[in-house]
Amino acid sequence: MNATKQIMLDEWRYWQRTKLATTVIFIGVVLTLASVVVNTIEVRQAADERKHFQQVSESRFLEQPDRHPHRMVHYGHYVFRAPSPLSMIEPGVDAYTGTSIFLEGHRQNSATFADQRQSSGLTRFSSLSPAFLMQVLVPLLMILVGYACITREKEAGTLNIMLTQGVKKREVLTGKFLALVGSGLLVLLPLALASIWASVTGESIIVTTGFVVGYFLYILIWGAIVLWVSTFSSRKNTSFASLICLWIALCILIPRISSSTAASIVPSPGKLEADFAVLEELRKLGDGHNASDPAFNQLKANLLAKHNVNDIADLPVNFRGVVAEYSEEKLTKVLNQFAEIRMQEEVSQAEIARHFGWLSPTVSIRTFSMMMAGTNLETHHRFLREAEALRYEFIQSLNHVHQHKLDYHTDINRYRDDVVARVDAGNWNILSSFSFEPQPGMARLHQSLLYSLQLLFWCIVTLLLIKRASRRMEQ
Amino acid sequence: MIRFSDFSRETIFLSRQPYVLIFLMIVLALSIFSVWSGIAETQAQQNTIESLLEKDNVDRAQALEKQSSYGSAAYYSFHLTYFPPSPLAFAAMGQRDIYPWKHRIRMLALEGQIYETDADNPELSFLGRFDFAFLISVLMPLFIILLLHDIRSSEREAGRFDLLIVTARNQHTLWTARALVLSIALMLVLLLPLFVGAAIMQASLSKTVLMALITLAHLLFWGAITITVGKLMAMRGQSSPRIASALLALWLTLAVIVPVVSDTAINKTVKSPNGGDLLLLQRETVNDAWDLPFSDTWDAFLSKHPDWAEHTQMESSFEWKWYYAFQQVGDQKTEDLSNAYRNAIAKKDTAAGVVAFFSPPMMTQRLMTSLADTDITASLGYEQRVRDFHQSLRYFYYPLLFNKSEFNLQVMDDLPRFLP
Repeated sequence: MNATKQIMLDEWRYWQRTKLATTVIFIGVVLTLASVVVNTIEVRQAADERKHFQQVSESRFLEQPDRHPHRMVHYGHYVFRAPSPLSMIEPGVDAYTGTSIFLEGHRQNSATFADQRQSSGLTRFSSLSPAFLMQVLVPLLMILVGYACITREKEAGTLNIMLTQGVKKREVLTGKFLALVGSGLLVLLPLALASIWASVTGESIIVTTGFVVGYFLYILIWGAIVLWVSTFSSRKNTSFASLICLWIALCILIPRISSSTAASIVPSPGKLEADFAVLEELRKLGDGHNASDPAFNQLKANLLAKHNVNDIADLPVNFRGVVAEYSEEKLTKVLNQFAEIRMQEEVSQAEIARHFGWLSPTVSIRTFSMMMAGTNLETHHRFLREAEALRYEFIQSLNHVHQHKLDYHTDINRYRDDVVARVDAGNWNILSSFSFEPQPGMARLHQSLLYSLQLLFWCIVTLLLIKRASRRMEQ
Repeated sequence: MIRFSDFSRETIFLSRQPYVLIFLMIVLALSIFSVWSGIAETQAQQNTIESLLEKDNVDRAQALEKQSSYGSAAYYSFHLTYFPPSPLAFAAMGQRDIYPWKHRIRMLALEGQIYETDADNPELSFLGRFDFAFLISVLMPLFIILLLHDIRSSEREAGRFDLLIVTARNQHTLWTARALVLSIALMLVLLLPLFVGAAIMQASLSKTVLMALITLAHLLFWGAITITVGKLMAMRGQSSPRIASALLALWLTLAVIVPVVSDTAINKTVKSPNGGDLLLLQRETVNDAWDLPFSDTWDAFLSKHPDWAEHTQMESSFEWKWYYAFQQVGDQKTEDLSNAYRNAIAKKDTAAGVVAFFSPPMMTQRLMTSLADTDITASLGYEQRVRDFHQSLRYFYYPLLFNKSEFNLQVMDDLPRFLP
């Protein structure tokens, strides 16, 4: 154990002497720290802003004057998605999905105003997020610091001296490994602090711990990769060139190839295609604005029979409201069916890309980190579903008001000058308030299980590789 | 002067280096993949547009059949607008996965419709595409660094340096010839798939050549830097990994740090109206109109369309002409905010163009997407075409609505058509 510690300390002293390594680590720490600070501020601002908009939107709805209930169906409502606390570290898909949705009758709108559509377009390859720095740059920093950790000793002949002096090979390797991992951990520190901060501001502790552990594993994996290459290479130059090639392949190429492959294998037809299918279905269902549409004859007959009257004017409820409620229900079923298909398509596309995690630890950590931070595709879908549930609820409540609070006779004469077809504004408080809460910690842990397995798989693979390389080193 | 014999000698030398050959084959494979996936995606988009166009016509015809007034015809008929990928889009997908390239609109207030996006899978956008532009702008510099950083130092470290210097006619020509052969080989494996792809997609020759020239310029930049830095550092006795580390640091600065820091700075300095404000204002103005006196709507409407001043009398408390008038007034009232929103995007894009002068990878990316019509300018251009088309719909319907023409389905044959 003492020898291991000694080797680790020697490596650090060597870095200190050569300056290169210390410069690299320093830059890494400063970059992560800066990005953590910038992102924390930005996420806070965004959170406050969206909360504000949500309140404005809700109070505007409640402040609306007396009017026809169906007008409120079209007046609609806006919901805004609050960012998850960990999105200051891992913004994930948030910048690419819209953060607000307009909810109205008869339609499911898409989320609008994605940040990327308001950006300079400079951040398509890289971003200042701590997650990007950890996933892509930290491996490079570790390579620059450690590519020669064994090859240097080999070239100088000091490795043989150490071994003949009785230092065990395992101790050498462990010492170097710990030294390398230590450099990665220094860069992880700002991220860990930010995670603690996220816990303080309400994120579940299981999640933040898991999140940091995931990144810790990632650093272990890269430490092991660097050590492995340095162990099997005979010269500094080869270990350097091989590591850079590996870095390009694992950190830059495979993630991109994963998304291009997914897009090519499962082309998604997009929302518009589904819109047509929806419209076609809707024409069969009948237009809910037009109570005399033949599509509602059956409904009318049933209702007349139920109340034992001959004319819709004699019904105890407003038939136009009944039709509005009925057709909204049918229509929502169709809309949801298509929305579910589309979300399913998106998820299966994403899953193809995520399977590349078996080929690159960067893909694994990226997926893991999004899942844990709650900035993944599924969370966006959850937002869409929750928004839809709210939409359906308040639209149907308004239709209910339409049925029971507005007289049929007044309603059909609503455009006549002497008729006031309105209901009291007090009815608008049917709107429940919307707040998008992060999923419970255990659920997120459960979702990211597969990706933590990918990370563990990488840990095992790299450790086995080192073992093999060390056996060869003996000969 | 470099002679042909220098070239052939170096070519033969390098072709016997298995690492160099494997490396070039991998780059060729990557280039083929980038072009293939680009073409697959472009074709998927073209197919989508074709099938949407077909469905759009059927859908509108079906919707119009049921109508009995021009007002409801305008309300129920949607129009597909689209932005087909240019022939070169396969090489640089640019912003097409973020900005919409298809939209269905109708004659209601445009501001309530235009921000709807039928965007791509956000997770794939987040991961980014592996297109040719990415290969050239981000990865090619790394390839050049790997290939060229140690042409001197590796020989020195292999102990052949002195021998080579003694036997070579002129040591300068030796390195130049070797660097040239490597660069040309890299250039060939990168560009061959591009030319094949351009031929398949029938891209214009001049634009393809320009695309190749951008590649060449970017290659020259990194080649020159790598060789200069390599030479200077090798003369000081620095090892190959140190040379490469310095070059990688430069790459990191130019390809990552400069764009990312500038992006943050641009977002801080260019003030953009909040999308949320735009949404709320648009909705309020359109919905308030129902409760306002008719004259409010008419006054605002007539300020832009005085021609209809004689036709604003209302016979019922709901008339389609009034309905569309307040839709237009809604657009008028949000116009400033909406313009500011788009101007901010354009301003940020311009600022990014300035930043690109300090970041050759960004410059390459921008030039390529601009050639392929997949940049922000092209997307804003599409949005403008949608706006113009929407305007033409209004000009088509207003006479029919204000003159109280009897509904005639045949008139609908003259509906404006969107031309991309």
